Amino acid sequence: MCRVAGKALHERAVVNNSKLLIKSMYDKQSDADENKYFPSEIFSGFGEAKISFIVSAVRAGIKADTVILSHINLLLVGWLIKKINPKVKLILFAHGIEIWGEIGFKKKQMLPCVDVFLPVSNYTADKIKSVHNVFSEKIEVLNNCLDPFMPLGKEFSDKAVVREKYGFKKEDIILFTLSRLSSKERYKGYDKVLEALVKVKQQFSNVKYLIAGSYDIEEKRYIDEMSKKLHLEDAVILSGFVPEEDLVAHFSMADIYIMPSMKEGFGIVFIEAMFYGLPVIAGNKDGSVDALRNGDLGILVDPLDVDAIEKSLLDLLSNIDTSAPNKQILMQYFSYTQYKRNLEGILS
Amino acid sequence: MCELQKHGGPDDGGIYISENQQLVLGNRRLSLLDLTADGHMPMAYQNRFFITYNGEIYNYKAIKSELIVLGHYFSNQTDTEVILAAFAQWGPLAFNRLKGMFAFALYDQQENELYLVRDAAGIKPLYYASNTTGIIFASEVRAFQAAEVKPLNNESWPIYLLAYGHIPEPISTLKNVQSLPKGFYLKYELGTKSISLQSFAHYSYSNRIFDATEANQRVAQQLEMAVEQHLLADAPIGVFLSGGLDSGIIAALASKYKQTALNSLSIYFEEKEYSEKQYQDILINHLNCNAHQLLLNETEFNQSFPSILNDMDMPSCDGINTWFISKYAATNGLKAVLSGVGGDELFGGYPSFNRMGKAILLQHLPNFIKQAGKKSKFKRLSRMSYLQLDGLKGLYLFLRGNFTPNDIAQQLGAYENDVWNTLNDMPTLQEMPCLDDKNKASWVEFNMYMQNQLLRDSDVMSMIHGVEIRVPFLDDEVIRLANSIQPETKYAGALPKQFLIDAFWDDIPQAIWDRPKMGFSFPFAKWLSNSAYVKELMVNGNEQSNKNFQNFVNGKMHWSHMMSLVILNHRNAI
Repeated sequence: MCRVAGKALHERAVVNNSKLLIKSMYDKQSDADENKYFPSEIFSGFGEAKISFIVSAVRAGIKADTVILSHINLLLVGWLIKKINPKVKLILFAHGIEIWGEIGFKKKQMLPCVDVFLPVSNYTADKIKSVHNVFSEKIEVLNNCLDPFMPLGKEFSDKAVVREKYGFKKEDIILFTLSRLSSKERYKGYDKVLEALVKVKQQFSNVKYLIAGSYDIEEKRYIDEMSKKLHLEDAVILSGFVPEEDLVAHFSMADIYIMPSMKEGFGIVFIEAMFYGLPVIAGNKDGSVDALRNGDLGILVDPLDVDAIEKSLLDLLSNIDTSAPNKQILMQYFSYTQYKRNLEGILS
Repeated sequence: MCELQKHGGPDDGGIYISENQQLVLGNRRLSLLDLTADGHMPMAYQNRFFITYNGEIYNYKAIKSELIVLGHYFSNQTDTEVILAAFAQWGPLAFNRLKGMFAFALYDQQENELYLVRDAAGIKPLYYASNTTGIIFASEVRAFQAAEVKPLNNESWPIYLLAYGHIPEPISTLKNVQSLPKGFYLKYELGTKSISLQSFAHYSYSNRIFDATEANQRVAQQLEMAVEQHLLADAPIGVFLSGGLDSGIIAALASKYKQTALNSLSIYFEEKEYSEKQYQDILINHLNCNAHQLLLNETEFNQSFPSILNDMDMPSCDGINTWFISKYAATNGLKAVLSGVGGDELFGGYPSFNRMGKAILLQHLPNFIKQAGKKSKFKRLSRMSYLQLDGLKGLYLFLRGNFTPNDIAQQLGAYENDVWNTLNDMPTLQEMPCLDDKNKASWVEFNMYMQNQLLRDSDVMSMIHGVEIRVPFLDDEVIRLANSIQPETKYAGALPKQFLIDAFWDDIPQAIWDRPKMGFSFPFAKWLSNSAYVKELMVNGNEQSNKNFQNFVNGKMHWSHMMSLVILNHRNAI
């Protein structure tokens, strides 16, 4: 999403006749070569040379009208800039878990130097207010958006053809979750989905559950064991890491995107799934609420309530043909063009 | 608006009006691919997409094959239809797949959206003006004279002309009329009248290729492929042969692919110190060209000069050469010509490449030193004051600027402060902290001099005669390849563009590169001083204008500076 923001800012600079510099602490200079989002000339990558980065960023920042920090870990740079030149407008992107809880003494001291917080969801915004005592006037929600380079996917309009390629049958009903599977962080809700699947499969026997994303051995074992215990081995498929060029095909061949997760800052994967026409089921306890427009675009459920997940699946499967998300609303709020308009409103 | 641009499209014309009456697309066609009426524009596809377009998509056949596999049907042989079908398949993501030179307006009737699109090297122009009621666009600024509400003059343009020698993008001579940035598309939603600009392609520098041999081979290969593609035409095509290295390379590569003898076009003079005839002859013989060599004399120049001034569209102190050679191409029945533009910018052909490093150092000096020499007769000293402008802009004007701000103020009767403010204001050049010095030179030459002067002038001065100029050096793959070669390899060598000399060692006779560079110049100083037309323009102006003329005639002013002043007087007289 940072690259998308970079592209938006670059285009804005061209149109407004203004200057933009992008500096990264961790990326190497060559990482920006050949990137599609913005010309590498405006980019400086410091490849983890932290001191050089901080010096360069502060020197450039004090001469700027506006400085945008992409992550709270860069707060020191912002703080130094404000100390030297208080007239600079300091903006901070706030995503999710990095700012929902305690941030440590140093960051707490420096946080007040931020002029504008840009949380990616209302949930994150509320956390900033409640946990860090920031006034509402300083906070402006800026939802994430669809990557402008996402292909339309017209080549995959024939579901049956794509399914055959991946070993699915035409009459299968495919539930899809895309996420990294880690035994250390199990908050994506796929285990709850498995539990809910038991009853769902009794009514809809050709339901399949495709979980895509890289996994660690322990987590795979956990899921395999759970599937076996629930007699779902034939229905659950772990496909492992999916390269970017194959993602569109996966979305296109699925029927439902389901991920009742707990810790999404926003949940870009939801708007991507909806872009490819999938009805979505998400959790109602985090930033996902914004991605589904409070339920206008998809179904929100309590991610800890297996019965609720089961019911929403059954309802959806009974009405699958009329449940495609409203693309017009989706694009109205989450297109890249809209993102740029929102950003323009904040920056000017 | 179409009538005013008829010269660029003498073969056909058309209008499309949308069903909801909210949009009109117009076109004047210069037919080069599929000369039949099938190529008529504005063209429709699936009764949903409509286009008016100027340019060539050199990889259109490959895209067409891909689209056919995906189920698209085509009714003609044009590249125009391929653009439409590509958009139908991929939406705005189609633009990045198009390799060539293009400016087009594409309307999606179903979504009621209009896209204005311009190629990434800015070879083809696209001007637009927008306000709360709507949007107007055209290939030339002169077309806006026909707009419902005639746009006002941009009062600052003389300042830009005298400083740059042309009007730099995105500025134009008309208020609110601007260039669409290259590699961008503008999406206009007719329902909400909202505008959004987005980039679909850009060029950057990197250091991926180190080995000189590998680099030479790949560039030779890629440029040869580009020339082959650029020769694609159903109408007669030729090559500009100035006698220099770049056009020589293009001609050499082109002659490999022509079944019949290659048409070459050259200009030479009686005035020996400007004539490159001997070098042209060497290449003509070496390549067995069907040569057309025009002896341009002072009389013909004088006869044509008033037309040249009228044809210019936007003022530029250059472009006259292109006017003559394009006219010559047209009289010889050629519809398209290949030119060597781009070679210098990509491979270090200008003195600025060697001067950039020092210029950057000088820019660090305090302002009072930079402007100390502003009244000096020595150009390098007086232009140092330009280094007071930030970053690449200051560097560019130091290296290539014409009049200095204090001179501009004097010429225009303006306050020097106002001149500085105007020049400071626009255009804005980004800072490029990690870019190598020589690549910085390449960047400013590519994005400023080539873009605003060479390409723009080439386009206008050729289209005025109904001739299309094609630039193989600016093929997408060639640019990307050149930009990815590390500067130490690309700019190495005793001679400028040693890299190209090495890459095409077998194709170009030594006499062509082992010679002084002449930059396709004309005996302007002499001809302009002798011209009665010029004298009348200048002498009938104000006192300053008179003084200028005297200075010029006495050899105290460079002809390109004089040209700018002549243009000013000419425009004021209109």
